[in-house]
Amino acid sequence: MAEAILGVRDLTMAFGDRVVMEHLDIRIEPGEIYVVMGGSGCGKSTLLRHMLGLQEPASGEVFYGGESFTRAGASDRERMLRRVGVLYQGSALWTSMTLAENVALPLQQFTKLRPERIREVVELKLALVGLHGFEEYYPWELSGGMQKRAGLARAIALDPEILFIDEPSASLDPPTGRRLDRLILEIRDALHTTVVVVTHDVACILGIGTRALFLDGESRRSIAEGPPGELRVSGPEAVRAFFAGGILP
Amino acid sequence: MANEGNASPGPAAIEMSRAGGAVLVVRLSGAWRLADDLPPVADVERELDREGAATVRLEASAVADWDSGLVVFVFGLLTSCRARGIAVEHPQLPGTLERMLALVQGSALPPAPPLPPGGLLDRLGVRALARREKLRAASLFVGETTLALWRMLTGRARFRGQDLGLLLEGAGPSALPIVALVNFLVGIILAFVGITQLRRFGAEYYVADIVGIAVVRDMAALITAIVLAGRSGAAYAAQLATMKVTQEVDALRTLGISPVEFLVVPRVVALTLMMPFLVLFADLMGVLGGAAVGTTMMNQALASYLRQTAHSVTTGDIIGGLVKAATYGALVALTGTARGLQAERSSEQVGVAATQAVVTGIVAIIIACGIYQYVFFLFGL
Repeated sequence: MAEAILGVRDLTMAFGDRVVMEHLDIRIEPGEIYVVMGGSGCGKSTLLRHMLGLQEPASGEVFYGGESFTRAGASDRERMLRRVGVLYQGSALWTSMTLAENVALPLQQFTKLRPERIREVVELKLALVGLHGFEEYYPWELSGGMQKRAGLARAIALDPEILFIDEPSASLDPPTGRRLDRLILEIRDALHTTVVVVTHDVACILGIGTRALFLDGESRRSIAEGPPGELRVSGPEAVRAFFAGGILP
Repeated sequence: MANEGNASPGPAAIEMSRAGGAVLVVRLSGAWRLADDLPPVADVERELDREGAATVRLEASAVADWDSGLVVFVFGLLTSCRARGIAVEHPQLPGTLERMLALVQGSALPPAPPLPPGGLLDRLGVRALARREKLRAASLFVGETTLALWRMLTGRARFRGQDLGLLLEGAGPSALPIVALVNFLVGIILAFVGITQLRRFGAEYYVADIVGIAVVRDMAALITAIVLAGRSGAAYAAQLATMKVTQEVDALRTLGISPVEFLVVPRVVALTLMMPFLVLFADLMGVLGGAAVGTTMMNQALASYLRQTAHSVTTGDIIGGLVKAATYGALVALTGTARGLQAERSSEQVGVAATQAVVTGIVAIIIACGIYQYVFFLFGL
């Protein structure tokens, strides 16, 4: 069996003595749009932070292409993270920089491209997300949806193999959220990128997810995994209730 | 990563040929990766300039591996050909590349941001207008603060009492250690300078007078104000600038609460009230600093030194110092809060606001000190 592009083995996440989620096993294949879903506070974003090394697991490991990320040293982790792009919930654009400077920074830091070539790549990436002509704008001059798209342009600056997206539709109106979903699909198709999305937005999960994992905050376990459409119809009761927007007893 | 093809392809290359006079065929081959040294679009443009063409046919079937580097090249070529009115055919591009190009070309072009003015006169004009705007904003700020202070005095201002309490504590008692240390050292420095100079006239006995008057009339207030400009003024600017970045200031406005009443007035009141108390304490520490030198260098008894200080320093000196202290306190708070509220909505501006608050605060203090000196001199105080 080929190595998964991203994997999690027997992962337990905790804040001090408080266990958030335990014994997680995840295997993400190349080209997937893998959705981590669940109610607020169930540990979705914490899982993302563990995958990115922003938080250390209480036990278990995260793997990139079969290589342990958790046990890797600083330089190996840096090398593995070079294959990754992240779109944060609040976009996390550097507000003192223009959009062009935001997208250019990873290219300046991690490639030996000439400034004019960097400029071309920056224009291309911004054009890919529909922000051609906004190069010299500052993030605070843009709407929330445009900031998200600019964050996406920065996340794909280095042609990442894996794109992590935390709550893509957070603070966006539904039509803008759906447009961003479509853009994520297009970017995945265009760049052959594997996408990991953390969200509780049902429309987003059903719209773009190829496979989904449901984290249950109550039992602190993952209770279902599979295509979102199937989980919606034949998943465990808690998952079906989640999709239906129902309230659990 | 977008790549297709074999494991070890050759370097990226362009080969150009003619298919009939009017068609330029551009064949791409090898690995087109960003990190590699890729052929520029200018190579094709030179050929077009040399012989021209009605159509450019792009063939990429020999491209073995690619990422954004190829997309940048193809997009650049399409843009260049469009600008020259040359048609481009690209029948054999990889499917994913076609999709990327479609995304890029579908990107709407918004109105361009205003261009910066070119000429020297233009730039001068823009600067003058910006300066005028800043002056207007500063006047507005002073006016708004004055009105807000009046509303506070008449019990109509909206602010939280507990905030004022915390600000009073932060501006006063929390600053005591640093104020004590700095003023004690300034007392020592003044005493050393005094003794060195007065010894030339055999008048070193008067060092207690000089240190006492200098500290109480001016130095304690001046030094304490400068310390507070770096401490409280910078903190106020950073707090308010951060609140602008996180839209907390907007939230106040939309609630119908004046940010000047809610944020500026408590800070101005806190520093204006606490500064005289701090300066009284600073007076004591400065005099003790002088006494430390006087008693050790001149073998003068501590009681005698303090008696001589008390004899030379008048009530007017003390009151004058306290009036200055209150003024400096207000200036530090005003400049700090003004810089904070003037900041743009970016994290970099938080640092800029804090720096500007310290610089503006110190300049304002020095100017006020000069004005006080002149006025006191004029009235023989």
